[in-house]
Amino acid sequence: MPTPAPGTSIERNGRQAIVHVRGDVVVGTARKLHATLRALQRRRDVREVVLDFTDAGRLDSAGVAVVQLAKKGLGRRRTLQLTGLDERKQAAFELAPAPTKARKEPIAVTYLERVGEKVLETGASLRALASLVGSTLHQAMKVLTRRAKLPAGSVGGFVVTMGADAVFIVGLLSFLLGMTIAFQGVVQLNKFGAGVFVGDMVGMSMIREFGPMMTAIVLTGRTGAAIAAELGTMKVGAEIDALTAMGVSPVRFLVVPRLTALTFVGPALTLMAMFIGIAGGMLVAALQLGMRAGVFWDRVVGRVGLHDFTQGIGKSFVFAWIIGFAGAHLGMRATGDASSVGTATTRAVVVSIFCIIVVDAIFATITTLGGW
Amino acid sequence: MTAPLATKGVSVGYDKPILENIDLEVKQGEILTLLGGSGSGKSTFLRTLAGLTPPLAGEVFLFGESLYELPPEQRAPLLQRIGFAFQQDALFTSMSIEDNIALPLRELTKLPESIVCEMVRMRLALVGLEGLGRRMPSQLSGGQRKRAALARASILDPELIFADEPTAGLDPVVAAGIDETLVKFRDALGMSVIVVSHELESIRATTDRAVMFAKGGIVAAGTLDELEQSHEQAVFEFFHARSA
Ligand SMILES: Nc1ncnc2c1ncn2[C@@H]1O[C@H](COP(=O)(O)OP(=O)(O)O)[C@@H](O)[C@H]1O
Ligand SMILES: [Mg+2]
Repeated sequence: MPTPAPGTSIERNGRQAIVHVRGDVVVGTARKLHATLRALQRRRDVREVVLDFTDAGRLDSAGVAVVQLAKKGLGRRRTLQLTGLDERKQAAFELAPAPTKARKEPIAVTYLERVGEKVLETGASLRALASLVGSTLHQAMKVLTRRAKLPAGSVGGFVVTMGADAVFIVGLLSFLLGMTIAFQGVVQLNKFGAGVFVGDMVGMSMIREFGPMMTAIVLTGRTGAAIAAELGTMKVGAEIDALTAMGVSPVRFLVVPRLTALTFVGPALTLMAMFIGIAGGMLVAALQLGMRAGVFWDRVVGRVGLHDFTQGIGKSFVFAWIIGFAGAHLGMRATGDASSVGTATTRAVVVSIFCIIVVDAIFATITTLGGW
Repeated sequence: MTAPLATKGVSVGYDKPILENIDLEVKQGEILTLLGGSGSGKSTFLRTLAGLTPPLAGEVFLFGESLYELPPEQRAPLLQRIGFAFQQDALFTSMSIEDNIALPLRELTKLPESIVCEMVRMRLALVGLEGLGRRMPSQLSGGQRKRAALARASILDPELIFADEPTAGLDPVVAAGIDETLVKFRDALGMSVIVVSHELESIRATTDRAVMFAKGGIVAAGTLDELEQSHEQAVFEFFHARSA
């Protein structure tokens, strides 16, 4: 028997409405019956709806859901009856759970509560960070005093991926940066006939500011993000729990090698960035002013003192630790699912760059006020 | 009426065949259990039946059509008529259970959201997860996740549903609940079910017909009673050795 085209016809009988269902009531067609029943629900004069399935075809879960919704929609005062059900349809309706009360709306969270929650969350996060720093130092001390050891070859491997692979990009960027500073410097200083001072300018800015800063930003994007993603993935995959359960300290196994490598790599790349930047400035000075490299270098050396150099390198250590701890901390706080790894990675980058710039500003303020 | 699923001379495997020359037919509204030792190729075979891994040789007929003869873009309408519950639950970890289950409805149908929610609620109740829809997959136990996976696989009322070891590693009570769900799929929703299982208890509760894979092929097929009489070594061991 071919099933008739889906549709309904409604027969009114006083306060009763009889809906004859024709054809299949399945995923593809259930909307029609849904619309019909919704229209009936809105009519106040209908007290009783009878659904007649005698001529109906197949009925699937979508069809059952439509009837369930209608039952709920009619409320307790009005009734819905089903007739003409064969055994299979009867069984399908019997499976359906009793209607539940309308779901409680979640209580709206006020702005103040949200701020409060954020503060508590930040507090918890800072405590976790402090304990991560603490246990990293503790584990590092244990390694230094030879009471524990790092996974074989780990530090060397990280030095290569973090450092060697970043040499080219850091070199290129600082060369371009040195050139740019020199270009600007030559144009401005020449106005006062002070073009030779471009050496002072490039040297000072590369060594005190841009060498450390440029390196830190590249390291954040490459290494900080990678640390957060690696540790986050391991956290989500319960690998970190597995280490803890084995009695292996995840901090010693995962965090200490990465931070140790960063402690070497950050300052080393910074040192390189400083000199390559100066070389870039040298090139521009030679081209624009015809200044010989020796003269340029003498200006740099005459200007930049050991304490400037120490400050630049000192900052690079601090920046490296910021990058390492931010990546490790946020990675290890990832929870549950894959998207939290993405969030952790992004936050590691944003938080690192923010902290680096804040710390740099504090450095600059203190050293300037202190006259160092 | 054509069988929902049939294979003709199918060989499956990766570089070299694991199962060869399999002829199998699944009848409308039956629960067919695939038996076989670990690594005998049951999961691979299921993947081939469901359009996930092409066979090395032979043909798979899904609802009368030769699945792998069709260009991939024309397979989708056939594949929408089957459901697959993976051995790992394969739930989307970043979505709530509700959203996981509703995903096929939202992506493949034009049903309004009110019907979608009601269908999800009905299916959660059917698999015994009432009230847990708002949870994330990581907040459920292993057995609950398996049931959520079954709910997602069955939400479009597929005519044919595959379940790869749905009860493996679960305690008998939870496993019995899942068996009951499979039986409901068959009896109330009229689905054909193909299930891989090792648990004799589950198998007895559900199976209409079983097929035993060993030695790269089917070594026995039939009802459980028939299999239990079999003298094929692998089959005999399966039914008798463990009770000793
Ligand atoms: N992606 C794959 N690539 C290569 N070989 C695989 C792959 N997946 C499974 N196998 C191999 O195929 C065989 C059958 O595996 P499988 O179908 O999972 O067995 P079962 O589910 O019966 O335990 C095993 O020997 C397994 O090592
Ligand atoms: Mg398997």
